Amino acid sequence: MSDDSTAEPPGPSGDGSMLQKRVDRRGALGILLGGALVGTQALGACAPLSAETDTEREVKLLAWREYIKGNYRFMTEAERAETIARLERLAELQRGLEVTIQSTGAQPGVLFGYAFNISKCKGFRRCIEACINENNLDRNADTQYIRIFEIEDGVVDLDKADATFQHEVPAEGHFYLGTQCFQCADPPCVKVCPVGATWQEPDGITVIDYDWCIGCRYCMAACPYWARRFNWAEPEVPPEEVNPNQHYLGNRARMKGRVEKCTFCIHRTRQGRLPACAEACPTGARVFGNLLDPDSEIRWVLANKRVFRLKEDLKTEPRFWYFSD
Amino acid sequence: MTRIRVDAAAWCLAAWIASGCHEPVATKATEPPRNVAGMPIDSATAARNASLEPGALATVQAVPVELWKGPGDRPFEVALRSAAPEAGHSRMFGTITLPIALRSRAAAISQYPCTSCHLGRKVVMANKRISDAHNNIQPVHPSQTGAVCSTCHSADDVQLLTLKSGERATLDESYRLCAQCHFPEAKAWAGGAHGKRLDGWQGRRVVMACADCHDPHKPAVQVRIPFRAPQIERPRSHAP
Repeated sequence: MSDDSTAEPPGPSGDGSMLQKRVDRRGALGILLGGALVGTQALGACAPLSAETDTEREVKLLAWREYIKGNYRFMTEAERAETIARLERLAELQRGLEVTIQSTGAQPGVLFGYAFNISKCKGFRRCIEACINENNLDRNADTQYIRIFEIEDGVVDLDKADATFQHEVPAEGHFYLGTQCFQCADPPCVKVCPVGATWQEPDGITVIDYDWCIGCRYCMAACPYWARRFNWAEPEVPPEEVNPNQHYLGNRARMKGRVEKCTFCIHRTRQGRLPACAEACPTGARVFGNLLDPDSEIRWVLANKRVFRLKEDLKTEPRFWYFSD
Repeated sequence: MTRIRVDAAAWCLAAWIASGCHEPVATKATEPPRNVAGMPIDSATAARNASLEPGALATVQAVPVELWKGPGDRPFEVALRSAAPEAGHSRMFGTITLPIALRSRAAAISQYPCTSCHLGRKVVMANKRISDAHNNIQPVHPSQTGAVCSTCHSADDVQLLTLKSGERATLDESYRLCAQCHFPEAKAWAGGAHGKRLDGWQGRRVVMACADCHDPHKPAVQVRIPFRAPQIERPRSHAP
């Protein structure tokens, strides 16, 4: 299965026989055990001792169907629609939330790239604030995808950088450098995943199927940029703060024991919008666009500014450049 | 989603400017609405431009940029983005409430319109009284560069900017004024490395103009308290 992790997702008609077999096996298991579940419920409905309501029964059944579903990459369009309908219904039943989960695919001819102006960033961390709200990040553990490092002028050693500064910014004699997932062209995190739960999409975004992730955290060890975050506990987001505009591969509800990371706001950028961090930046330090469009701003920056990337010698080819005025 | 119509508002401002800015009089529409730069506004476009999500910052009617070209030599537009778009809806002028264009810088200027004091002629005041009248302005940039009011503001019509070439520019065209000295920034702004794009990475390119971010009289970015720090230890290896 892990061989599939670097391949293109096969279309609904192009499924291999092995895949077909796997789906059949899981499907059969689902029907058998799902039937058993419904059977006991039917029994329970007759027994006066059972206090199970219709809602609880529906949640149980939906949760079970979710448990036996396959990897998102290999789902047909119909299966994707089904799982999304189940997840939306579960959010409504369990948390009273009306969420919309997209399965929007990559736009053809689009490869996302990011440029970060280290002269412009002043360390206000507005990007982090926007990211937390946009991506439904765990408020309890205070998960943050973005780090803003404060670095002394003239220092090129990132080991001496500080991401935990808490004073008025910009501080005299310092500059600021932000990191997040760089959406590498040759991502080591994808190579090490033993179950194929993380892969690179055609528009360059490396995504995670949270339901397929087993939480082994190999990808976190492999990432040279510390871009991935692990949910040690069930993530908590107050219902009134949940962003209902979600993507299956992006900011939908995560679970305990799964890895997550920045997806360049996949639910926004695939619809032509800017990532939340770029939109929130008060200094205009963040440039986002299509690397395949020669008239895009990101291409202008790459052609006209002096740019660099972090740890270029690792040949991970990040699609995230730094530049200065 | 709140929808704000700007066409009538824009037309009223245009009519008002055309009438010499002396008497603010609300008149009835007799011609297609136009924005500040005199370009006709398609009302559907205007409505789309002014649409807001609750709590989101508003992008309002954009004005095409002349002289400067964006990436790939493509034209682009500038827009004002405001957290309180309703502030641009209308403004009290004495006893008259006059709708004004959302895309006007004027909406963000507390003492606008200038004619409420300047009345279309030169106001001669002692230096002390000038600073009294504009005590909200901190003239950091003028004092650093040795500029006086009339270096940038037209002496004959204070609601316009004056350029070195003798041309006039509206308050919305701050980039034309600033670019006279800050040409590397202007080049980077037109290319996309300076300034800020609005709406999205795809489609129409709308950016913010100089004075939408920088206070023209005190343009440097001011210090602030940042958003909370991450709850992480700081081992050396945490830096990428």
